[in-house]
Amino acid sequence: MKNPNGENKKIKILWLSGISCYGNIHSFFNYPHMEVFLEDFEFIYHPVLDSTFSLKEIVNETKECNILLIDGAISDDFHRADVNIKDIINRYATSVNRIVTVGTCATFGGIFKYSDFQSPRGLHFCGDELQTDFLHLRNKTISISGCPIQPEVLVNTLYEIKNQTDIKLDTFLRPKEYYAYTVHNGCTRNEYFEYKVDGHKFGELEGCLFYDHGCQAPYTAGSCNKILWNEQNSKTRSGSPCFGCTEYTFPKMSLYDTKKNMGIPQNLPLGVPKRAYLTIAGVTKAFSIQRLEKKLIDD
Amino acid sequence: MIELIEKIEGEAKLDFSFTNDLIDYVKIEFLSARGIENILKNRPALDSLVINPRVCGICGHAHLIATVQALESCYEKIEISDKAKIIRELTLNFELIQNHLKWFYLVLIPFFGKKQDTKKALYSSSLMTKAIAVLAGQYPHNSYAIVGGITSSVTNGDFIKVRSLIDEAILFFQSNLVDANIEEFWECDSVEHIFEKEGDLVDILMYIIYSNLNDMGKSYDRFIAFGGNSYFKKGKSNKTVVSTNLKYEYIKEKLIDYSYAKNVYYKDKSYEVGPLARGMINKVPLIKDAHRKYGDSIFSRILARVCEIAQLLYHSKQLLSMCNIKEPSYIKPKIDIKNITANGIGYVEAARGSLIHKVDLVDGIIKDYTIITPTQWNLGSGTKDNLGIAQNAMVGLSSVDEAKLVFKSFDVCSVCTTH
Repeated sequence: MKNPNGENKKIKILWLSGISCYGNIHSFFNYPHMEVFLEDFEFIYHPVLDSTFSLKEIVNETKECNILLIDGAISDDFHRADVNIKDIINRYATSVNRIVTVGTCATFGGIFKYSDFQSPRGLHFCGDELQTDFLHLRNKTISISGCPIQPEVLVNTLYEIKNQTDIKLDTFLRPKEYYAYTVHNGCTRNEYFEYKVDGHKFGELEGCLFYDHGCQAPYTAGSCNKILWNEQNSKTRSGSPCFGCTEYTFPKMSLYDTKKNMGIPQNLPLGVPKRAYLTIAGVTKAFSIQRLEKKLIDD
Repeated sequence: MIELIEKIEGEAKLDFSFTNDLIDYVKIEFLSARGIENILKNRPALDSLVINPRVCGICGHAHLIATVQALESCYEKIEISDKAKIIRELTLNFELIQNHLKWFYLVLIPFFGKKQDTKKALYSSSLMTKAIAVLAGQYPHNSYAIVGGITSSVTNGDFIKVRSLIDEAILFFQSNLVDANIEEFWECDSVEHIFEKEGDLVDILMYIIYSNLNDMGKSYDRFIAFGGNSYFKKGKSNKTVVSTNLKYEYIKEKLIDYSYAKNVYYKDKSYEVGPLARGMINKVPLIKDAHRKYGDSIFSRILARVCEIAQLLYHSKQLLSMCNIKEPSYIKPKIDIKNITANGIGYVEAARGSLIHKVDLVDGIIKDYTIITPTQWNLGSGTKDNLGIAQNAMVGLSSVDEAKLVFKSFDVCSVCTTH
């Protein structure tokens, strides 16, 4: 069957899971146009979906493949179907056109960099430390960080690879199209942040979570408030702090607390120097905006 | 004979031995564990609300709810509004429903000669993941349940959206799985009534009957459910005798030397958990009838899992109408968790059965954390004279293919089993 563009050839993808919770897979399942996607792409292996080959065949032979997706952390002693994950990656890495690290574990190690495996890490980074064992693959790698990934970001990137688009990447190999934003962009609580109205309580529509509740949105790269989750919502819109899950620092300690030095948040909005922040904060705090002091809906 | 079982949120090995062409023993081996319990140690209590949804990509929400309940039970007194309780229960229900839909269309039907139905699986499960996102921010991996309630403030518009998504899922169920009014499932007390209908579930059940597979997959006929809520009853059932007095002290986790999954027992016995167990303990008329006729076989297990979709959709609609939007979402606990030194336990019914989290806090820092997952109950690998639930269900079968079907009828999840 021809896809809507009239093309027959599908791009072949191998989805390889390392040390993972399968959250990226189930997040991917929320992609709203899956039927169209599966007309254009074929999984030679996927951990849940029917695919061309079995896991045994994939790990023991080298099948033709265009894109290698790696989801989950990598470790020297982690195996899939009795084959070391590093060997599987090396086998496919040379023949595929691109490698995509799917999620924060595959990119930076994520929560599993703290697991008991032998040196668990991402493909190129452990936290922000550059790893050397897959250095030769850097030029073909794109990182889609996030715990889990945004399905649209993954799928759009796969289409951009298919279309041979020149994808601009940041220092962690993440497509700037999605990671040049901060999670703060598009948050419905932005005004409370701008005017330093910090009286947030959980369970309310009002208030910014940056000052007291550990919200990392102003310094976390990601499109969570631009491309809404499940086409509906985001953590910060629903009153939860952003935990910075797209970053190499994830998961920090004390995730619900804002670390402060002399009352000033330790981590400031991306690119804002401390002195400038203090000046702006002083000015905006001088405003008394009644609209922001009141409840939005209830009187 | 060793078979690698994959597409179970990870992989496992089944090592079969045969006597006279019949399976007489199956060793179940899970190949790695990620050690989430250790990752949690020495972290501030609330961090567990962020780490624990990452135990599993398909039932992470159940892990969140079990975590928050474990933390809240560290308090001598804590107030949670009915609104927060209802919304937590709703999002948990939605997670169960999306799981069951994926299991049926992606995992189960290929065993009956059909292709995976990705379109039906993902369209219908996405309705539920959208409903969770409206209330909780996103799915998977949100942390909207917080000690004292929930982080979101829900509007009338949100409720209308959730109700529409439930209704759309009900329409999907009625026009695809069983063409019966969803309310009928609450009263229906006869499997024959289901056979009169049409639909994807009916096709599978009929196939099982016509192929004489209805006796397949029987185990000990012992069921347990720890996570009571407004719908699920807590209790254990031995064949049909139900008792409700359950104690944590009787639960034992045991290490085995060849697998990363720990076994779990209640008073040294294996118990089945999951939709069939819940149906038996809740005395759901249709499930009782299936059990009367087909015992704890794959027939009853499949029927119970799919019918739970209908029951939970109907119950969720009622729950939603009971929720008073004016109540607070969150009531700040009088004592900061940083000052709490105590043990707490949370019990939740997750898609695959009872999930238990136990936390030990010293001045608000996690000193110890224990997670007991549903799949540990069902997929434990015991010895020949003390078989686990799934092992016992596979013994006596004549083929590996049949055994795989029985194994997967428990909705196997490797990441949960090992966590």
